[in-house]
Amino acid sequence: MSASAVFVLDLKGKVLICRNYKGDVDMVEIDHFLPLLMQQEEEGLICPVMSHGNVHFLWIKHNNLYLVATTNKNSNASLVYSFLYKLVEVFTEYFKELEEESIQDNFVVVYELLDELMDFGFPQTTDSKILQEYITQEGAKLEVAKSKVPTTVTNAVSWRSEGIKYKKNEVFIDVIESINVLVNANGSVMSSDIVGSIKLKTMLSGMPELRLGLNDRVLFALTGRDKGKTVAMEDVKFHQCVRLSRFESDRTISFIPPDGESELMSYRINTHVKPLIWIESVIEKFSHSRVEIMVKAKGQFKKQSVANNVEVRVPVPSDADSPKFKTSTGHAKYVPEKNLVVWTIKSFPGGKEYLMRAHFGLPSVENDEMEGKPPITVNFEIPYFTVSGIQVRYMKIIEKSGYQALPWVRYITQSGDYQLRTNA
Amino acid sequence: MPYLGSEDMVRELRRALSNPNVQSDHLRYRNTILKVVRAMSQGVDVSGLFSEMVKACATVDVVQKKLVYVFLCSYASLNPELSLLVINTLRKDCQDPNPMVRSLALRNMTNLRLPSLVEYVEQPLTAGLRDRAACVRRVAVLGWAKLHKLQASSDIDAAVVNELYSLLRDPDPVVMVNCLRALEEILKEEGGVAINKPIAHHLLNRLKECDVWGQCEVLKILERYRPQSEDELFDILSLLDPSLLSPHPPVMAATLSLFLSLCSGLPAASLSALERVRGPLLAACGSASREMRFTALCHIQLLLRSLPGLMGAHYKRFFCGYAEPAYIKQRKMQLLVELVNDENVALVLDELKGYCTDVNTDTAQAAISAIGRIGRSYSDRCLEILTGLLGLKQEHITSAVVQTVRDLVWVCPQCSEAVCLALEGCEETVQDSQGRQALLWLLGVYGERVSSAPYVLEVFIDGLRSEVSPGVKMELLTATMRLFLCRPAETQDMLGRLLHYCIEEETDMCVRDQALFYYRLLHCGIEETRKVLQGRRSDPSLGVLIGRPAEPVNQWARSFNTLEPLKQSAAETESTSGGSPEPVTSVPRPNTDLSLSSLSPSPVDKPPNGVALCFLLLGALEKAEEEDYVCMEEHVHCPAPPRCSPQSLQAALQLVNVQTLAFTPPQTLPWRVYLYTHTRNTHRSTLILGELLYTGEERVKKQPRDDTALKGFLSILATVLHTLSSERA
Repeated sequence: MSASAVFVLDLKGKVLICRNYKGDVDMVEIDHFLPLLMQQEEEGLICPVMSHGNVHFLWIKHNNLYLVATTNKNSNASLVYSFLYKLVEVFTEYFKELEEESIQDNFVVVYELLDELMDFGFPQTTDSKILQEYITQEGAKLEVAKSKVPTTVTNAVSWRSEGIKYKKNEVFIDVIESINVLVNANGSVMSSDIVGSIKLKTMLSGMPELRLGLNDRVLFALTGRDKGKTVAMEDVKFHQCVRLSRFESDRTISFIPPDGESELMSYRINTHVKPLIWIESVIEKFSHSRVEIMVKAKGQFKKQSVANNVEVRVPVPSDADSPKFKTSTGHAKYVPEKNLVVWTIKSFPGGKEYLMRAHFGLPSVENDEMEGKPPITVNFEIPYFTVSGIQVRYMKIIEKSGYQALPWVRYITQSGDYQLRTNA
Repeated sequence: MPYLGSEDMVRELRRALSNPNVQSDHLRYRNTILKVVRAMSQGVDVSGLFSEMVKACATVDVVQKKLVYVFLCSYASLNPELSLLVINTLRKDCQDPNPMVRSLALRNMTNLRLPSLVEYVEQPLTAGLRDRAACVRRVAVLGWAKLHKLQASSDIDAAVVNELYSLLRDPDPVVMVNCLRALEEILKEEGGVAINKPIAHHLLNRLKECDVWGQCEVLKILERYRPQSEDELFDILSLLDPSLLSPHPPVMAATLSLFLSLCSGLPAASLSALERVRGPLLAACGSASREMRFTALCHIQLLLRSLPGLMGAHYKRFFCGYAEPAYIKQRKMQLLVELVNDENVALVLDELKGYCTDVNTDTAQAAISAIGRIGRSYSDRCLEILTGLLGLKQEHITSAVVQTVRDLVWVCPQCSEAVCLALEGCEETVQDSQGRQALLWLLGVYGERVSSAPYVLEVFIDGLRSEVSPGVKMELLTATMRLFLCRPAETQDMLGRLLHYCIEEETDMCVRDQALFYYRLLHCGIEETRKVLQGRRSDPSLGVLIGRPAEPVNQWARSFNTLEPLKQSAAETESTSGGSPEPVTSVPRPNTDLSLSSLSPSPVDKPPNGVALCFLLLGALEKAEEEDYVCMEEHVHCPAPPRCSPQSLQAALQLVNVQTLAFTPPQTLPWRVYLYTHTRNTHRSTLILGELLYTGEERVKKQPRDDTALKGFLSILATVLHTLSSERA
């Protein structure tokens, strides 16, 4: 792995904060970073790895910041990127929003965190739950007694500390599925998949043992049950609290949950799904005079379900003007800074079909800049429904004190990367 | 960065720090320190406050301590003497009952990076290794690595090394992994930490306890272990099998890397491991972070070199999203080219066609050249798309199409008919020099079939004075000469003007020399000229080798899961997008032969064993700042020159990744083969050009820059020749 130093830069390339972990790369090398980046940007060949001499910069961009790791070794690139994203994750959990201002306002905590996250170029404690136990923003207030040893640094259950107490023991389970769809201009689905995640909000006392039951196809096949709808999950990822060996042997998801909010697992289902909201569009461009847009949206899901906050974003030429709209429901708005028409429908029941027409004027002198063909994108959210049909069959909670706890389950399906290419 | 008024600021801070009133008020004191550190992070030089800050570290407030240490570590190298004062406080902190304070003190003690302080640090570090708190042991273990790095020459205490080895059995997994990291650093000279069977098995058993970073580290280090028996090997493999499907791409990649190194003797096992990671790799291609996606794509490219069919069914995963960055799109297109087959070609081409009009011109050009590559196997469909694109009359598109078409007709001469039809009218849209060079080359070679060719060239010649690119001028000279040979009546006048201008007025020497060369050539008569200029064109009967032969996994296994694949493929795209036009350089020119023979050195004595093969090796170092090449000669002892057919020689050499350029017919003397090969390592790539010569004499020259590459090349070559000649014997 071995990163020599980690830098946080603002968009002008000024170092906001940095940490020299190994001391084998000169810290002034970072001055070459932005010029290199600008040069690549001009050539249109930006690359997440850049080299100056024998120093390599591996960088990511987050909001108005660049996070850069330098190394002079042939390090493991994917590990360095993972670490940089881990930084973003930890900082975001601390400051809500990771950006220039939050770094400057909290530089004490940032220094402390950088110190704990990595030593001598090797990642050390990177779990933000643990870090939060001994590095707090309140630390900025004077507090001599702040010398409690976090048990978790040495604990067997590193993600949960002992002695947590709640008056009312509850656990909230959110099953969220996002669908990614790519439809080409002649209406055929090029690719589609479902990315699901199960999130927990745990408000349980003590050290509870939890067991989650899903309608997992492999599990049902193992136990010889075949009634009811089952789901075949791929690429299942778990939070570190889940006992992987048990999952591998008998597909049981058992764990001691971290306190508060966490993502228990995520999965991907790579089947052909019918796009839940189908869009047909006709975009006619009459050069020098006008553009006419007709968009038809159809809800291809059960009649009982309702999609909320549906937003259909239709691209228009950048030099279009004088918009006129007609919609069968919802309302359309022109967003000139993004060259989009946003058609919003607050509630969209399954099986229904709606129509929007838009009319734009075009200037007689044509814009000779080349424009891309951005796709139509759709955002939506369908509560009480999962596309894959995944279900939480049970959630068992056992704690040695024997309290009763209630699990609450909520299902949501939402749009992920949902693109439909246009013929214009 | 000098800060306006920074001196005033430093003065004011110093006054505040040394003010007893401030010192007695914890909150004010800490706020002042905060100001100092903030100024430091903003780039103000506050090193002058070092002595004041040293005093501030004697405090019970942990946060204040941390801040002061950050300051001290940044400026310690400027104030080695004053830093000695800190040591006392740090050593006292190492005795603190609070383990957090102990680990903090130890960490910063080693972060000061001052060789003069080493003697004071060793004792607390030794104590730290035996501390009861894991967090202190973690720091202490890495502390030894830092200490060793600081004075790499000094011998490290064997007792410490032993202690570190025994700490591999520490209950805390991070201590264990840190021990591995520290031993790697300390024992670098001896090849890193020694992995014997008990250690390897211990590490394997504890793999699950480690976090992602630790797992990767352990897996990486286990690559050094060689199982003693086949049973042990398979036990390890089955233990690691679940990690191959790990949801964390770095762990998955590290496991695969370990698999490949363990199975280096079992190609079948490594191939099945590659099959197993297909799913996780594809998942990584869809990961939320674009950098991870990019890394995954680059590694898939690597895998495809050995297993071209690996992703065949999943080509749709490599279709580009609208908002993806150009570097991902280009990598995906390269992959799509590799994955084309009879079933998906229509869909892939349709998709690529969509990218040709991308707003990013580089992406558009990459898409066009990708279509050109596919055209080598599906020429009709691709030509249709390419010629269709010309209708858009977009400058960068037309230019890319012309270049692509030129590359295509060179390998697929049967396309020339369609290309000639499409060329009309392109000259108005193509503006950049690369595109115009390609257009000129096409007009020169296929001039008889493009009716407007002389008029196009005339426009170029008329505008010669304002032409800046010497490349275009040279190409124009060659094209006009060629056209003159087939359409003399229309071209004679303008050729005269062109030669006159280039010889009399041109300032660029290359252009002038080329013009003079052609002028003299014309003096030798039209037949001679024709012989030179219309040398052999590519032979339609020589089919193109579609798809590279699958490379053995060992070819790239070492660079798997490092930075290299990311850089490597970037270099490849550069050479395809901005590279030199290949056909132009490979058009047979009479002087290429001359340049080679002129390099042949004088003969030396015959070796005692009678028969020998002689080499002229030319190693050229690419991609270095300055171009750099050296000639060398080496002889390989070989009982007799291989008397096999050129095809079997070529095939044999290709097996070891040596490409043949040309050879004399067998049984002739002197018998020659021209060959080349690439070697790649992290910092540079070496191109070795060689002439294999059999006359009975030998020659030697040396290239000192990349000895290992050459030696490897020579030994491989010797092996091949031996095998071949012994087969024939």
